[in-house]
Amino acid sequence: MTQKIFIVAKTEFLKRVKTKWFVLTTLIGPIALIGFFVIVGIVSVKSLTSSEKTVAVIDRSELLFADYHDDDGQITFIQPNAPEDSIRAAVIRGIYSGYLLLDANIVSGGGKATYFSRDGGGVTVFARKIRSITRQAVEKRRLEEQNVPQEVFDILNASVRVDMRKLSETGEASGGTEAFAVLGYIMGFMIYITMLTYGSVVMQGVIQEKMNRVVEIIISSVRPFDLLMGKVLGIGAMGLVQMTFWAILIMVGTIFSGAIISLFLDPANLNLPAAASQNELLAAANISMPVIDPFIFVWFVLYFLLGYLLYASIFSAIGSSVEQQQDAQSLMLPVMLPIIMAIVFLQSTVEAPNSTLSIVLSMIPFTSPISMVVRYAVTDVPLWQVLLSFSLLVACFIGAIWVSARIYRVGILMYGKKASIKDLIKWARYA
Amino acid sequence: MPVLTVDEVTKQFDKVLAVDKASFSAEPGRILGLLGPNGAGKTTTIRMITYITVPDSGEIRFGDKKVGPWSQERMGYLPEERGLYKKMKVGDQLVYFAELKGLPKKEANKRVRRWLERFGAEDWYSRKTNELSKGMQQKIQFITAVLHEPDLLVLDEPFGGLDPINAELLQDVIMELKEGGCTILFASHRMEQVEQLCDDICLISQGEILVRGALRDIKRKAGKNTVVIDFEGSDTFLDTMEARQLIRINVRSKNRAEVRLLHNTKPREVLDEALRSANDITRFELVEPSMREIFVTAVTEQEKKIQEAGHTVPV
Repeated sequence: MTQKIFIVAKTEFLKRVKTKWFVLTTLIGPIALIGFFVIVGIVSVKSLTSSEKTVAVIDRSELLFADYHDDDGQITFIQPNAPEDSIRAAVIRGIYSGYLLLDANIVSGGGKATYFSRDGGGVTVFARKIRSITRQAVEKRRLEEQNVPQEVFDILNASVRVDMRKLSETGEASGGTEAFAVLGYIMGFMIYITMLTYGSVVMQGVIQEKMNRVVEIIISSVRPFDLLMGKVLGIGAMGLVQMTFWAILIMVGTIFSGAIISLFLDPANLNLPAAASQNELLAAANISMPVIDPFIFVWFVLYFLLGYLLYASIFSAIGSSVEQQQDAQSLMLPVMLPIIMAIVFLQSTVEAPNSTLSIVLSMIPFTSPISMVVRYAVTDVPLWQVLLSFSLLVACFIGAIWVSARIYRVGILMYGKKASIKDLIKWARYA
Repeated sequence: MPVLTVDEVTKQFDKVLAVDKASFSAEPGRILGLLGPNGAGKTTTIRMITYITVPDSGEIRFGDKKVGPWSQERMGYLPEERGLYKKMKVGDQLVYFAELKGLPKKEANKRVRRWLERFGAEDWYSRKTNELSKGMQQKIQFITAVLHEPDLLVLDEPFGGLDPINAELLQDVIMELKEGGCTILFASHRMEQVEQLCDDICLISQGEILVRGALRDIKRKAGKNTVVIDFEGSDTFLDTMEARQLIRINVRSKNRAEVRLLHNTKPREVLDEALRSANDITRFELVEPSMREIFVTAVTEQEKKIQEAGHTVPV
């Protein structure tokens, strides 16, 4: 690294780290992200818990209404003594949340249940509940008609616990896969957001220097490559500080999550003495804390860094070819597609981390920063895959910065005409 | 040995030949004026000298060595289209530029303060750049070019946007630098300033060098072919003589004209004609052509030649 790259990087770093924007996002970023997940969680549960609902039941079979009750007390079922027309009108007026029509032959097999409401039911927790209560009521009635003894009922009703365990070479990891999935989502999204944010900070910097016409003064002192490199590294250093801080935060969070959760557990409810230990509490509540491989945090930061470097170098080439932010959009699209692809397939990567699709995505340098980190979080990725994927990413970055620097050195001095991708290719081939 | 030698340099962009086998040199401690119409290839030439771009063929030497990153540290450059970081403080910004030129931070800081003082701007050090007026920013930009005490200073239209007082201050500073041994390459359209400042001239148009040499020699060689006449009353004599292609009017105002004698017109003919229409003549002088006149003549002659040759050079 030459002296000049260092001077540029240092100035870029200090100029930005001292801003309020940086301090705020560093501190608030994780809170906002956690807040985001919490809100998503609340919203999906909220559809049921927000208000208590009253559902009118028209039981044409005259066999089932007795079995309609909600254990959580969220839904009240009533059987109004009124014709369907007036019940329908009451639903429209908002007196009932909806009404459930049970066909006369629903138990014998031919009929069905239909739920009418103004919002159509949907796939909410509420709709699931209506379905399961109806199914249980019908099942019970059918079994009763066959004179099935009480013992059989008990057998059918006994709940079966299904635990999810993660297998790895070092043995069986205790802990639910859910925790790993959440970690994968959080890390995938964080890399996605930060990689793009820092990439566009670099692009904005390049466009501003060109717009201000300060760039010609600078490149009469510094080689364009050194300026580009210094800028990318300086802003990257800022990103590294932020991501390391966040990685440590997540790490601390997962280490102490057991302690945090046990704070909310009441020993009395779990039939334990008040002085029960944290582990006893968690075991009794059937919560087992996942053991997270600390290397995930190292790879998280490394993949962020290289992913950022790759995209920042491409973005800076694009930035050098335009005179204002808006003009960059059309050139950005082809670059954005792979990132969007990684995000689109994020869920399937979490669910099937070892599918061919997931493995391929985690190898392609343009998607690997997101996909590999997600895979690493949810499953045991063979070391050779990580090393191969990372080496490909490094190689791709070196290629990208080389080409970008060639475009950049021409682009920053081009004013007037709007450049197309064809122009960029032409510039890269100039001597 | 010249400080700077431009040797048979050619640069082409796509189909446009921006600079065509240009050769000239800058002698130590002198001011070389690089002149030319818009789009003549001046900026391209300057960018090759400052090693922002490289020539397709030919060579540019600083001293006896080819220019490169090493020579950038010994040159100062004030581009025509220039700017500053808007949100950075003036002092930080200047120190940054000086560091990029290879100065240690402490020394850079000392010089920044000294130069701000020279321009009467000590208290700008911690102000943000976007709080400064355009003229103020221009002074800061000039400082960026001289902080590292370059051997060669390249100034592209350094006076644009400065009021007369600041322009004079800048002119004084440029002369001081020259006396201190700095060689200066000065690109401008303002012929009065070129005449006041430059020792040597290089006139470039359509990528080709038309006139080159010491300003004194060029003017002497052109000979005394220009008449300056101050008069009172009617100026119809100017129109009649121009219509007969005896003269070309270079500068014309209500009571004053500068005319070029064409086709061996005698100065006396102009005087006779003037006496016929003007009420009075307060000055009549035969002089060497102005730089402006030399510029216009050379460029129009080139255009004529190109048209006669029947081919057009893409602009």
